[in-house]
Order: sequence, then C-alpha cells, then structure tokens
Amino acid sequence: MKKRIKKLNLSRRNFLTGTATLAGVAATASFVPITIAKANHSEGKKGLPDFISWKDRDALIVHSDKGIETHRSAIGESLITPNRNIYIRNNMPTMTDEQIGNRMDWKVSIEGVKNPKTFTLAQLQKLGHETMATILQCSGNGRGFFKHKPRGSQWKTGAAACVLWTGVPMKTVVEACGGINGDAVFMTSAGIDHQPTGLDPKKAMIERSVPKKVFKDAMLAWEMNGVPLPNAHGGPLRMVTPGYFGINNVKHLGKVAFTTKESSVKYMKSSYRISPIGKKGSQYPSCWEMPVKSWVTRPTDETGTVKAGKVQIVGVAMGGTKKVRSVKVSVDGGKSWKKAKFIGPNLGKYAWRQFVLETTLSAGTYNIASLASNGSDKQPELRMENRRGYAHNGWKDHSVNITVV
Amino acid sequence: MKILKFLLIVFFISSSGNFKSFSDEAMMKKGLEIFNETAGCAACHVLKAAGSEGNIGPNLDTVTMTVESVKEMVTYGLGVMPAFGEGEILTKEEIEIVSQYVVNVANK
Repeated sequence: MKKRIKKLNLSRRNFLTGTATLAGVAATASFVPITIAKANHSEGKKGLPDFISWKDRDALIVHSDKGIETHRSAIGESLITPNRNIYIRNNMPTMTDEQIGNRMDWKVSIEGVKNPKTFTLAQLQKLGHETMATILQCSGNGRGFFKHKPRGSQWKTGAAACVLWTGVPMKTVVEACGGINGDAVFMTSAGIDHQPTGLDPKKAMIERSVPKKVFKDAMLAWEMNGVPLPNAHGGPLRMVTPGYFGINNVKHLGKVAFTTKESSVKYMKSSYRISPIGKKGSQYPSCWEMPVKSWVTRPTDETGTVKAGKVQIVGVAMGGTKKVRSVKVSVDGGKSWKKAKFIGPNLGKYAWRQFVLETTLSAGTYNIASLASNGSDKQPELRMENRRGYAHNGWKDHSVNITVV
Repeated sequence: MKILKFLLIVFFISSSGNFKSFSDEAMMKKGLEIFNETAGCAACHVLKAAGSEGNIGPNLDTVTMTVESVKEMVTYGLGVMPAFGEGEILTKEEIEIVSQYVVNVANK
C-alpha cells in the first residue's frame, strides 16, 4: 500500500484555513453523522436551490446547486438574456441579505491610485451613472464537448448571457481618486464572499488581475437588466470587465487595486489557467479575453419538430473584445456556408449580435453550424484541447443535428 | 494486520462495480467515516445521508456524478477543493471507498 505521508483527521474547513490544532481536531471528531455548517442552498421550489428560487426552472439545466446552465433555446431571443434564465456559476456561497446588510452601505476600497479611497454604494451612485451591455460567459462554457471529460460542470452553450449593466464607469472612479499610480500593470479586483466561510483567503478569495487597460471600459455595477444586482449574481456590487471571461467579473466586490503584480491567490495563480492536457501551472495563460464565438439557438433538438419548407435559423454571435463582423451558417456540416443577417439592436462590441438565416429545407437530417468572425479572428473548426476545458469556440462541436419532416 | 485490511479493501473494490454489490455495512461505515472525519468532506458539502450541511462546495445531493468523476475530483481537487490524492491526504483506497459511498447514497 502506498505510504500515506500525511495522516489527517480534521475537517476540511480546518484544512483550508490552515488553522488546525489538536484541540481543533478533537472538537471536530464527533462520530458520524454530523452537522458542521448550516446550508443556505437546500432545494427550493421546482428543484432550484433556495437562493435562486426566483429563476425559471424550465429554462435551466441543473448540474449542481452551484452550476446551473441555460438551455440552448432559452438564451434570449430578444438579445438580452432575462435574469430568470441566466446561468449560475459560484465558486463561493452566494452572500445572504443578512451578510450583506444595508446595500447602500456596502463598501469598496480603491487602491493603487493617487488618492486611495473607500466608497459606499450610495457614494458610488452619486459619482456617476452609465448603462452598457456585455456578455457574461463562464471560462468553461463548452467544456461538455471535450472528450477527455475535464473536471467541473459539463456546460455546453448555456454558461453565457447577454446582460445590461448599470453602474459607475471605473474610469470615473479612477478620476475621483486622482488617477492610477504610474507603475501599475494590472487592475486587481477582490470579492469578499469568502469571508463568511472563514476559509484561508489565499485559497478561497476570488481575486482576479486583468491588464490595467481593462479599466477604461470596466464598470462597478449595481443593477442587472433593470433590477438591483441579485445576490446570486454578486450583488450589491460587481466588477464588470467587458470582453473578459466571467471569473474576472468579480462578485460581491470589496476592493479594486491597481497593482504591479498579479494576485497571488489560488484563483489567480493556479486556477483558470489554460494548460495542455496533463500539465498545469501559473506559466500558462489565464482565462482573460474571450475568443470570437457563435452558436445556433433555433432550431435545435430542444425546439421541437421542424417542418419542411421555409426555416429561420437563429443564433447569437460575439466578437470577444472586438466587434463581431460576420456570421456564416452551414446546414451541411460545414461543407458549404451562407452569410447570415444580423438582426436586432447593436448594443456595442461587447454585446452579442443575433443573427438569422432564412432558408428552405426539405425532409431529411441536417447538421447546422455557425461560424463568426471579428475581422481579425474567426472560429476554428475544432476545439483547442486543454486540461480544464476552457475557452472552447470551435464551430463543429457547437453545431446541432436536426430532423426535418 | 495492515496487509489483511488492504486485502479486504481490494476484495470489496475489485469484486464490485458499484457500492450496491459492495454493500457490506462495514464498508458503508468506512465511507461515511472518511466523508465526515478523515477527509472532512462534510465541512463543505451537503449530503443528506451523511447528515452534512456544508455550504462551500456543491450540494452532493444535486450533482450529476459518477464514481469516476467523484474519484477524479477528490484526487485532483478543483478551485478551493483540495487535491486529496495529489496531496496524499487520502490513499487511493480511501478515495475509492469514499467515491463509491457518495455516489451510492447521494440524493437518498
């Protein structure tokens, strides 16, 4: 038998906090079954956890209570994804109203600027006011297509949403603090949702660094699609980093610092790194900029029988950090392509565009794919294989098979 | 004694594809013990059968999982979850037992 180097007999909470003592071990060694912490995520109505019982169960795929995906056909046919349909991916438990307290008194400190300050939400709301649309997308959206079955929720297309945020531009906040310190290279945002857990911040704090330039378009948001930012999505205040993967849009925001180095917490240093299968480490790229991507939302196997004749093929397309320029659609698995038409309002380069291709299909089976371009890059045919199944934008895996009768 | 214990574990694991056929009460108890004590999974996860209400990681009664996916997760960790195998906190045998246990009792 393999020799065990460490013989631990302590709760994981002790393990994670690094504060285990003999007394602590004794205190947690009551025999099974035991109750250690009070959960706030027992099953609520319609099979959703209590903290998101207000969401539309029929629009969602429940991978776990912390990984909930939007059905491909429920992503929002009117450009913006309704809050009740938006996916959930939480690394830490959602903070409760009790933990948050008076929302207007929520504090965020700004550091690495000429005049560091702490603002309450009420003060931020007096400082500036802006609305913008961005795509919120989990780094692992599309993981469910990887053949090596990376750990984590097996998202297909639904860990993504197009959202209207209202808040104060980070640029305005920086100006109110006298500007950024000259030697800063990164904008580093930290949440405080780990605090109620008592876990070691080095292991549990969601602190993410992105290139400093991101601040120019970033926002401290308190409203999501016309309502106060729900706790489940990081309320009352969240960093929004347009064009960057979801993890960088830090929830329950407590600090923004302009720093010379990347954060050294686990969620920055080793998690969310795009490494080859079988390898890991901080030398690999972090999940930052989203690549160009698109997928068909209708018809799919979720949207019922397709009748022969005229068919509207509908989907969404994003350009990442650049404006999406074009989308082509194939009904024969990529052998031939036709240019689709953008429809609906253009809410800026960080929002997705809806597209439609009207075509005529006779009875038979079809593989429908979409291929977007932002002028510089276009979607590859195949996924970029990587250990954790991040950043998938290959068009082939995202295609759908339909039967026309 | 250690060899005997090891052989007993190997016998139960190799003679069964899932926990139902390795339903020996002692092994169930061992899985529960690893879950709640040795590894302390209970501190972070809900699992009704174990009486645990941890609130950090996913509620295991809601997760779609297989024995293989649980073993992988326990061995290598994810995010704030420690790598119990890589870190040699649990032996391979313990990981096998606790994974079989969790999949067998989840949502029951």
